[in-house]
Amino acid sequence: MGRFWSLLFLSVPILGTLAFVLAIAGVGPFRDHWLPENVNDYGGVIDQLFMFILYLTGVIFIGTGVALFWFMWKYDAAKNAQPPVYMHGSHALEIVWSVLPAATLLFIAIYQMNAWADQKMRRPVAEAGPDGIEGTEDDVLQAPIVEVTGRQFEWRIRYAGEDNVIGTPDDVHQVNDLHLPVNEDVVIQIKSMDVLHSFFLPHVRVKQDVVPGMKQFVWFHGNKAGVYDIVCAELCGWGHYKMRGKMTLESREKFDAWLAGQYAEQERSGFQPKTGADEND
Amino acid sequence: MRAESIRSRLSFWTGRDALAAGLLLAFAAGCGAPEAEFRGNLVYVKRKEIEGQTEFTKPQSADMANILAAYFGTPDDPHLPKVPGLELGPLVDLDRVKMSAGKVASDKTGQPHGLYREHCVHCHGVTGDGLGPTAAFLNPYPRDYRMGRFKFKSTVKGQRPTHEDLRKILHDGVAGTAMPSFKVLDNDEVESLVHYVKYLSLRGEVERRLADEVVELSEGERLVLDVSEKDKNPESFNGKIARLNEIVTEVVQPWLEADGLAVPIEERTAGWEDPEAKAKSIARGRELFYGSIANCVKCHGDSALGDGQINDYDDWTKELDPAKPDTLSQYLALGALEPRNIRPRNLRLGIYRGGRRPIDLYWRIANGIDGTPMPAVPMKTPENEKGLTPDDIWNIVDYVRSLPYESLSKQDRQQPQITRERL
Repeated sequence: MGRFWSLLFLSVPILGTLAFVLAIAGVGPFRDHWLPENVNDYGGVIDQLFMFILYLTGVIFIGTGVALFWFMWKYDAAKNAQPPVYMHGSHALEIVWSVLPAATLLFIAIYQMNAWADQKMRRPVAEAGPDGIEGTEDDVLQAPIVEVTGRQFEWRIRYAGEDNVIGTPDDVHQVNDLHLPVNEDVVIQIKSMDVLHSFFLPHVRVKQDVVPGMKQFVWFHGNKAGVYDIVCAELCGWGHYKMRGKMTLESREKFDAWLAGQYAEQERSGFQPKTGADEND
Repeated sequence: MRAESIRSRLSFWTGRDALAAGLLLAFAAGCGAPEAEFRGNLVYVKRKEIEGQTEFTKPQSADMANILAAYFGTPDDPHLPKVPGLELGPLVDLDRVKMSAGKVASDKTGQPHGLYREHCVHCHGVTGDGLGPTAAFLNPYPRDYRMGRFKFKSTVKGQRPTHEDLRKILHDGVAGTAMPSFKVLDNDEVESLVHYVKYLSLRGEVERRLADEVVELSEGERLVLDVSEKDKNPESFNGKIARLNEIVTEVVQPWLEADGLAVPIEERTAGWEDPEAKAKSIARGRELFYGSIANCVKCHGDSALGDGQINDYDDWTKELDPAKPDTLSQYLALGALEPRNIRPRNLRLGIYRGGRRPIDLYWRIANGIDGTPMPAVPMKTPENEKGLTPDDIWNIVDYVRSLPYESLSKQDRQQPQITRERL
């Protein structure tokens, strides 16, 4: 075997780095394996954090991989006649490798706090409230435009409708087909009807577990019209893979027209059988 | 020396590597996954046997399976019955059926196959008997297609659904049940699945009709004659075949007609959405709801919570005779699911299984719900002066649609505080 094992261990950082390079360049077998395009104005910060942590851990991953290889290569039993030397700890080294990771973790914890608050706590404000200053306690938060309820195994969708209140007779009901206006702040109310699901919109970097009995809000600011995925990111049962939906981001006019059309269909109160031959439209 | 080395080599092969090779082979063969097969409708056959106080002979049962295979093929290789004078035409298309049949796969052009097994089989079963592996855990149970009955449709109770009715169920799912929406599938894929459901339904119905036929046979008689009889006794041989073709035609005919039977609904008179008119309509609907003609209250309960009548069964369950424990246990042993009562819908939840559009509710009330105790309301005709008019049905629709938003209990106005003068 000789130095086979040391080379095998060397292949780990090499293959890992290669996979990363191919994926981020989008070529070969790793095409479409990197993060999908970000179409959320607030999503960039998530990507930055992701890349920052990836590079940090990447450097450590390569460093440890190479170090492992180097020790195995240099001290291969077959090539070394000298007896091994034992060392009994190094106080300085131990302090370094405890303090350094601790400080790094603490840095990340503080560095991401603002991003977390923006994503999870600072819901977009509709008006500044009586005191006229945004960011104070009397702000009127933006009302959710739509409610998405996870259910084994689909996403039930309910638009607030004309009165902007969810749970009234003018709500528009949908399933798995979410349309939202682009180029504006959108707030979504999310719930679960049965078990733990996770509402995941990969293209706008929104992912939030939905918990039965809890009402939560997510928000984003889409900046590119198109059709994107909705998936469930929490194993919720045998049909977890079925919880696919599509999210269509479109201009305000198109969205309003679509919603009005859906409402009209939902209120449809007349039916004449088709007389044409083509039924499979 | 030489022999020993050969033996050691042999023992080497018979050891680890043989095991590894065996495992590899097992994986390559799909770990012995059996070929998908249609399951016989054993429960229905048993029922017929009990009713007719007879027992199907082995050749009779084998005939049933062979006839079905001849008309409909197998799950991996479906075909459609070729019966002289019967045009299946737009009802079921073999190419569309084939797209859903067979194993889950996709060909070089990316065209998917085996859609039924990918999306439906775990609940509805290979045979469409509603006995897939997950069926027992669901409430309500998945639909058994073999009776040819479907609940949520635009045709009158007792008729087959239209193509559009089935497509809508796949598209929107059935809210409040485990049936999800397949909206994200391509149109072609949904179409194919609709055709496949019809295919399974036709097959299941023919199977039931064959069982009905066998009961009528005298002992030792069979559904078909041996091929050797073809020349010896052509008349009765062909007569038997003609009878089978007749059965298939009788099963297919109502399906062919169904597409023209969707009940039309006149557009409502303008102005019904005005708040005042609507409030009036709701009030009138409430009257009818509690009235003796529509009599919704009888089953849906005094508060429309679906608790008026809770010990009935749907038609699929009624076939098991749930009140007779001795026969029931025989059906259960053959794989039938534990009977459950059918519950009238709780109308205050705002969940409408067959769709929430006013026309959907109109159809439910005017047509009844097939396979369930929900009847069609009596309509006003010259003979029946007491029946309801379309406007009456709209009033009930309006009332039902208002129920989820109506507070069940009215809070009493606060009582004036009793004050006691201190002496």
